[in-house]
Amino acid sequence: MEIKKVGVAGTVESSDINIVIEPSDKKGIEIELQSTVMKQFGRQVKNLIEETLRSEGVESAVVRATDKGAIDFVIKARALTALYRAAEINEYTWEA
Amino acid sequence: MFGQNVEIRTINLSSARERNEVDVFLQKQNLILEKDVEYTLAMYEEERIVGTGSISGNVLKCIAIDPEYQGGGFSNKIISLLLNEQYYRGNTHLFIFTKPKNKKLFLDLGFYEITTIDDYVTLLENDPRGIKNFTEELSLQKHDGKVISSIVMNCNPFTLGHRHLIETASKNSDVVHIFVVWEDRSVFPNEVRYKLIKEGVKHLDNVFVHRGKDYIISNSTFPSYFLKEKNAIVKIHTMLDVKIFGEFIAPALGINRRYVGEEKSDPVTNEYNLTMKELLKDYDIEVVEIPRIKNSEAAISASRVRELLRTDDFLSLKQLVPQTTFEFLISDEAKTIIGKIKNDKK
Repeated sequence: MEIKKVGVAGTVESSDINIVIEPSDKKGIEIELQSTVMKQFGRQVKNLIEETLRSEGVESAVVRATDKGAIDFVIKARALTALYRAAEINEYTWEA
Repeated sequence: MFGQNVEIRTINLSSARERNEVDVFLQKQNLILEKDVEYTLAMYEEERIVGTGSISGNVLKCIAIDPEYQGGGFSNKIISLLLNEQYYRGNTHLFIFTKPKNKKLFLDLGFYEITTIDDYVTLLENDPRGIKNFTEELSLQKHDGKVISSIVMNCNPFTLGHRHLIETASKNSDVVHIFVVWEDRSVFPNEVRYKLIKEGVKHLDNVFVHRGKDYIISNSTFPSYFLKEKNAIVKIHTMLDVKIFGEFIAPALGINRRYVGEEKSDPVTNEYNLTMKELLKDYDIEVVEIPRIKNSEAAISASRVRELLRTDDFLSLKQLVPQTTFEFLISDEAKTIIGKIKNDKK
């Protein structure tokens, strides 16, 4: 999946996460995370974002995320929404 | 309990009554609703404002929460909404000016510190690599030399006075970097100002013109609202602007001299120049003031050019601007700009 522009989803309210996905000219997914639970779950949040993007076929992107203690499926949903917006895709194929 | 029935609404900025309500609330927190806000939200409980936040360009500003409502996640809510509005408008690189004692709030909301001036002001941006990327890109345009000069200019529009300043710098330097103030608060749009400078200095092969995006802070972006004494505003704005220039921009290009136009008649610019001279010493950058050139009796200035445009006095105008600027001014493209100048004055 190709990232065409900046895509954003989420908020910086408690239990949510704000994810910004931008195109990158370098290969790889670069994630800048700021989290209220950085010490406890920082790595896990980053891995989840990266996995979510990889599973959609993203190979290169810059991601900025501000996490306010979101749980996994919120993180995944925000990452996907930001990605679809960044890739200008309007057809969602959500799987259960 | 507080905050059970809060409701956030968009303020109709063309309504004097609504603006005033927000302004009264902000004044209680020692702030004001600045004139240049483009979008304002207010949080109400029982028809009383208990929080607010605004947008102006790529800046979030005039943000305050009633002290009784602080700590309830309301500021996060307001800022989330402002962020979404900004992204919706296509502004993804955002800035906040705040008091250093409040910076923690924004550091927790995805903002990163660029620099701080004592207890007065902290500038934050929402991209951790923002200024780093900017200076890295800038350093690709580095040219070697012994005297590397810089001029920061607005040029609204480019006159013979500006050209004289650049030519003097060019003659006395190995390399000259020009930064065009990018903020679009001038009647001539930034790309036009940039183009006219570029065309006007084509004959000087050691002069390089840059778009002064984001990190050249013009006094129109700098919020005056949280600094009580008006005299301090110019000083602190200068300190911030000079610190960013000295710390990030100058090293990227090896700049060791800065040229400014002498500005004895304008106290604000004069104060700016004096403060800059003092502060740039710390970065081993010399400041050189160049007297303005005169045409018959008055100094050539962009404001005089605009004045002549207002009265369609193209004959006098021709004496004040380079051929390239003159050609632009008589082109179709300039018509809407000149129309604006005429309307503004009424």
